[in-house]
Formats: sequence, C-alpha cells, structure tokens
Amino acid sequence: MDAAALNNPRVKKLLEEERTKAIANQLVAKLTDACWDKCITGSIGSSFSRSEVSCLSNCAKRYAELKMLTMQKFTSGR
Amino acid sequence: MENSAEMQRFLQQEQQKAMVGEMVGKLTSVCWDKCITSTPGSKFSSGETTCLSNCAQRYLDMSVLIAKRFEMQGSRDF
Repeated sequence: MDAAALNNPRVKKLLEEERTKAIANQLVAKLTDACWDKCITGSIGSSFSRSEVSCLSNCAKRYAELKMLTMQKFTSGR
Repeated sequence: MENSAEMQRFLQQEQQKAMVGEMVGKLTSVCWDKCITSTPGSKFSSGETTCLSNCAQRYLDMSVLIAKRFEMQGSRDF
C-alpha cells in the first residue's frame, strides 16, 4: 500500500468509519462487563427485575459519561 | 522514498491516537471500579465526582512517576 492511498477521500472515509465502529464495539463490550458487575448482584432470575433494569440503564449512561469526561480532560488538560 | 516517510508519519499518528485511546479507557475503567461502589444513580454524586477526579489525577501522576523511575533505573544499570 502506498501513501497516496491515504489521501484518497474514500479511503479516509472508510478508515474513519472503521475506527468509529471499533470504538463503539469496544465500549459496548466494556459497558456490558462493568454494568453486569455493578447491577447484577443477587441471584439470577428468569428476567431482569425493575431495579436491575433501572440500574443497568443508569450504569450505561454513567459509564459513557465518565468515558467522555475522561477523554475531554485528557486531551485538553495535558 | 517520499511515500515511505508519509506512511511512517501516518502510522505514528495512528499509534499516538491508539495510545491515547488506551489510556482513556484504562483511566475510565480503573476509576469506575475505585469510585462507583454502590448502585449507579441518575447522576454522579458529589462524593463520586470528587473521587473520580482525584483518581484520574493520581493515576496519571503515578504513570509519570513510574516512567521516570524506570528511566533512572535503566541508566544507572549501564
């Protein structure tokens, strides 16, 4: 692959799309992991309880919020 | 030759971006574990916010400290 390809707008767009997908996938995996640990603490039922659903929803939002804040702090505050 | 230098630069930038992404992910994960000790709410409590802020700062301080120590150790052994 020669560097001229990197200037191709279609290649650039493709790279950006792939990068976004990879980040999204990684976040979903991490969220699932983190929020399972925080919210599913008792015995496992045949469906999620109301409080578990509420916790999971809050958890996902909080974690994503934290990630964004960390990124902002890290990229601007150095 | 020109292609190679351009490619090198591109790769370096991508590597930088990946490193920043990794650090942000790590900070988020570590501080989430340390500071969110009860059920996640609809927003971060002030105690959680303080903890998260301190945590990120301390983690970064530690990284710098370790890197410096590692560097010193290396040169001493030579």
